[in-house]
Amino acid sequence: MSTLLGRPAGLVGAVLVTAVAVIAITAPWIAPYNPLLVDLADKLAMPSAAHWMGTDQAGRDILSRVLWGARPSLSVGLLAVAIGLIGGITIGLTAAYTRGLWEQVAMRAMDALASIPLLIWAIAIVGIVGVGPLPIGPWRLPNESKIVLLVGILYIPSLARVTYGGALVEFRADYVRARRMQGAGRLAVMLSDVLPNCLSPVIVQATLLIAVGIVVEASLSFVGLGVEPPNPSWGNMLADARNFIFTGEWWTFVFPGLAISLSVIGFNLLGDALRDTLDPRKAARTGQLVA
Amino acid sequence: MPLLELDRIVKTFELERRVLPRLFGRRRQLHAVNGVSLSVDRGSVLGLVGESGCGKSTLAQIILRLEPATSGTVRFDGADISALDGRALHPFRRRIQMVFQDSTASLNPRKSVRRVLAESLGLAGVPRGARTGDSVALLEQVGLGADFLSRFPHELSGGQRQRVAVARALAMRPELLVADEPVSSLDVSLQAQILRLLMELRDSLGLTMIFISHDLALVHHLCSEVAVMNAGVVVEHGKTADVLGKPCHEYTRRLLDSVPRGRVQGADASSST
Amino acid sequence: MALLEVENLGIGFPVGGRMVEVVRGLSFAIEAGEAVGLVGESGSGKSQTALAILRLLTPPGRITRGGIRFDGQDLTHADAAAMRRLRGSAISIVFQDALSGLNPAFSIGTQLIDVIAAHRGLRRHKARDLAVETLALVGIPDPGSRLSQYPHQFSGGMRQRVLIAMAIACRPRLLIADEPTTALDVTVQAQIMRLLADLRRQLGLTLLFITHNLDLMADVCDRAVVLYGGMKMEAAAIGTLFANPLQPYTQALLGCIPRLTDPPGTLAPIEGAAPVPGLLGPGCPFAPRCPRRVDVCDREPPLAVRHGTHDVACWQVASDAVA
Repeated sequence: MSTLLGRPAGLVGAVLVTAVAVIAITAPWIAPYNPLLVDLADKLAMPSAAHWMGTDQAGRDILSRVLWGARPSLSVGLLAVAIGLIGGITIGLTAAYTRGLWEQVAMRAMDALASIPLLIWAIAIVGIVGVGPLPIGPWRLPNESKIVLLVGILYIPSLARVTYGGALVEFRADYVRARRMQGAGRLAVMLSDVLPNCLSPVIVQATLLIAVGIVVEASLSFVGLGVEPPNPSWGNMLADARNFIFTGEWWTFVFPGLAISLSVIGFNLLGDALRDTLDPRKAARTGQLVA
Repeated sequence: MPLLELDRIVKTFELERRVLPRLFGRRRQLHAVNGVSLSVDRGSVLGLVGESGCGKSTLAQIILRLEPATSGTVRFDGADISALDGRALHPFRRRIQMVFQDSTASLNPRKSVRRVLAESLGLAGVPRGARTGDSVALLEQVGLGADFLSRFPHELSGGQRQRVAVARALAMRPELLVADEPVSSLDVSLQAQILRLLMELRDSLGLTMIFISHDLALVHHLCSEVAVMNAGVVVEHGKTADVLGKPCHEYTRRLLDSVPRGRVQGADASSST
Repeated sequence: MALLEVENLGIGFPVGGRMVEVVRGLSFAIEAGEAVGLVGESGSGKSQTALAILRLLTPPGRITRGGIRFDGQDLTHADAAAMRRLRGSAISIVFQDALSGLNPAFSIGTQLIDVIAAHRGLRRHKARDLAVETLALVGIPDPGSRLSQYPHQFSGGMRQRVLIAMAIACRPRLLIADEPTTALDVTVQAQIMRLLADLRRQLGLTLLFITHNLDLMADVCDRAVVLYGGMKMEAAAIGTLFANPLQPYTQALLGCIPRLTDPPGTLAPIEGAAPVPGLLGPGCPFAPRCPRRVDVCDREPPLAVRHGTHDVACWQVASDAVA
């Protein structure tokens, strides 16, 4: 961990990611105003001491909305990646292990899913099932959970591929053979030998996918398929600000845009730094001089 | 009765992977092992010699049941293990152990020496409480001390990693140890150390071994018998002194001619330069 | 004057804020036409020395002291353009990994002709003739038709021959071979060693042969320099070294070589582990494992003694000589 923070990129990434996380958790307490509070008398106000980031077309405090907007962004990013990790690792590991029909079926299905860009899938599917809660039998799946589930499923192919690639190599490694020769069980070998050694690229990929999730959430909200107004989200704030781009009210789009950019940059920097520090071969190399 | 008997082992690989040409009878096959029969007596050390691609490593995989043979039988301690599968194979697994060529790849980079040995001892049925003590005993047997327990593979030299790999194999109390080029990636002085270790284990434990190598000089020092393989076939087999002293096959002679002069004559090596 | 003179060479890598020397005050010389072996185990600094001669050390590694002179020219201070002119034409190197030494995307001919055309300023058809001639020289049958083939169509031994052809195509004055046979089968290794010996005779090559195998260089070298922990332990003619090694490390290293002519089982490994650069004291690097160690060995670098052309660095050998 110390080596991770020792790199400038890793440090900046960690600081940005921590900031976004803290903001998302503490938004109710640190936001100066209710983000939904409409004050038409004070609409489109310039940034000032009362409204640090100004107000939007309904007179709502932009700072408060940006702070609250971290919540849907981060929750979509994190929860979707969690779903993607569970599905991707399971499929990737089992496909690499069975090497038969299941491998063919699973990995071809992953290829098919991955052949269409994620954002297009997302927009197409939300467009088909519609905005708003999705009724599944007696339950109604809230709109946000629907997006999380959708994006999570769309993450599975890339995480499965990374796991599969690493696991294929590890299953052939001599230490796995040695374990098999000593009669170790299949599940034990898979979980205690193969998985830990192919996990690093998966973690890196997952970190980068959190950033993708933030962009997907913002994009869906921007085209009106995501977080439903008037609830704040960086995406629908940008959608609201569309009309003011050429009229001079720059604060309406600059601040939510900045929030998206900084959090995406944060997760990307963190992912890159993780890639460098998690590689065990690299870690081993720094310890010794090769002459 | 020999400990290990190989009877007409054949291993072919399909080179044509596409389904359609195979259906239409186009089969391109590689005979990696082509009818090998060998037997290894208890307490003897067989040197399996040949160059890359001669089938010696494939044969090792078949003996260890990491690969199935295309045809032929492997009998271990009188029992035919070539047809066994899954659970039935289990009791035999631990009786045959292996040491690999690449000491880096043969240890899990994320497991400490303590964990590697404890896991193996666990599989060998050693109760939890006795595992640390047994691990230390194993480390001492391979010339390392208790202070190596907490080390990870990247904190070990190539020679030390190979010693840990030997200790892991010994944890199972094997009757047959297959060593596939165990010293060929090591420096000369480490080669000598590991070779010396194998000799000591041979003498102290009476361990039966198959030592796979391309280096006749190593085989000369360690093995009681030698089998020379070329193109999937054993071309010459016999007592080490006989085969290396009076080679009958042309290929064995070629291997002997390839041994660097410094290894043949020693002191007057450069007299003809 | 010697063709290559290495004097008091130091090569260091910064580790945790300080410079750790992997080569510590190495001196040796190669006369034109001579074949010298540089023997050492991993960590001895032999490969770094070869890279330093070509000024190809991987940064942040650098030459910390001493000098390298090639044909009288100081290489330690030569500028990048001068080094480029030297590399490949006057000094060339063959590495151990024959696969990564060739670009898989280009035919053998393209790669060989490019090198020749670039260094010798020849037109392409002239360069092609020379390429064919060189391939024939390294024993590749039917060289004219093999020019259009790609690296993967060659066996490991043939690839190493192609690399040697590339290295000698411009008739270098010094050829450095860094473990050129490690990745090869024994019979192929013997062929490559024979090839190097033949080329030496035919072309009058000067050869610096780098290996961890003392016995291997007996086939091709006149003299050997034995390195340990970045220091020169002993240097002598090959015959002398095998018959009368003086330094305890050389003696121990010879004891490690499994010989077909020795009775089975007689093998005397060196106890202990190889030194780690950076953890070495001021004394002799071999002292911790040395059977003849005395107190001074830990405190002072080994004393250099010279018997004619036989160099030894050892306190005990020095006191034997005085006694």
